[in-house]
Amino acid sequence: MSKQATLQRRRAARIEAERAAAAHETRAKRLWRLGAVAAAAVVLAVVAIAVSSSGGAKPAPPATTSSLLAGIPENHGVLGDPKAPLTVTEYVDLQCPICARASQSTIPAVIRDEVRAGKVKLQVRTLSFLGDDSVRAARVAAGAERQGRLWAFLEAFYARQGTENSGYVTDGFLRDVAKAAGVDAGQAIGQADSAFASGRLQRADADAARMNVQGTPTLTVKRSGGAERVLKASPLDAAAVQAELDREAAR
Amino acid sequence: MRAAAIGVALAGLGIATYLTVVHYSGGDPVCAVAHGCATVQQSDYAALAGVPVALLGVLGYLGLLAALIVDGENGRGAAAFLSLGGLGFSVWLTYVEVGILDAICIWCVGSAICMALLAALTSFRFVRGPGMTEV
Repeated sequence: MSKQATLQRRRAARIEAERAAAAHETRAKRLWRLGAVAAAAVVLAVVAIAVSSSGGAKPAPPATTSSLLAGIPENHGVLGDPKAPLTVTEYVDLQCPICARASQSTIPAVIRDEVRAGKVKLQVRTLSFLGDDSVRAARVAAGAERQGRLWAFLEAFYARQGTENSGYVTDGFLRDVAKAAGVDAGQAIGQADSAFASGRLQRADADAARMNVQGTPTLTVKRSGGAERVLKASPLDAAAVQAELDREAAR
Repeated sequence: MRAAAIGVALAGLGIATYLTVVHYSGGDPVCAVAHGCATVQQSDYAALAGVPVALLGVLGYLGLLAALIVDGENGRGAAAFLSLGGLGFSVWLTYVEVGILDAICIWCVGSAICMALLAALTSFRFVRGPGMTEV
């Protein structure tokens, strides 16, 4: 091989090496730029997520109450046939998240299988020990009771239940609940400070003290002419509650 | 690759447009495969500072399409930025569906898949640079 050919080959190799080095450098620069773009994108996404997560915590419930209560009579807050042999009383605080869970599992089962069958009538005592939001909620629930829509109000309230004692039980919130429950919101809120509402809160407290209710939700059962007793079954165990009610009915 | 990215962006735009129309018409999205579209659409997470997330999706996909059409160094950077940001937000929304709302919106999942594909395509294009011939 001539000397000239050797020089040409070395030159070509050098040019190729320089080109490869330049390409490597360019790629490295682009990777860094992609990193910067990705970091900016992360900032964008984090801001969007922060705004989104502060927007709310749960899906908007349906605008109307479910068919669960359709056709069941409600008299003075007592749901079901007034002649039903068993009376089940639920002690709740509307802010209590376990009560909301029970309202989605055990209570619907009891309404569907026991109340509709005329075996049980269901009543509620709305306690208000968790805070001011509980008091406000219980008072407006009393207004809903006067319209014969207490159980629809409870169902709608639980579906929208917010963070405990965050001040979420505003008139606007209560209007939304009332609207979903088919309750005249203005009337119910207007009656929140009435003697009737105060009486309902006092009755709930007195009954809870009499039954030595230690927490919410608590379920009790009472036969016609018998004594009220606390159910042994967990209020969150629908099957156990129903089984205990069946045993009580069979006694 | 650019054509593929444009195709995916058009698919995402179609999904976001459909969800935006449903949002403003007050109806529920057709949800044949997985139930829960209405739950997701009506949740508080369906809007960002009062702006429907679906509408933000439309704007995002339009921005991506514009960046893909303009091309060039800035266009590639903008496309990568938008798709990576969109992917991050899509991941969050998917978490909200599964972990918080317990409801899956198949349209939202479709959009998240589009955004993931776009993030991969646009990032690769951005790193590769304009040196190679585009398809």
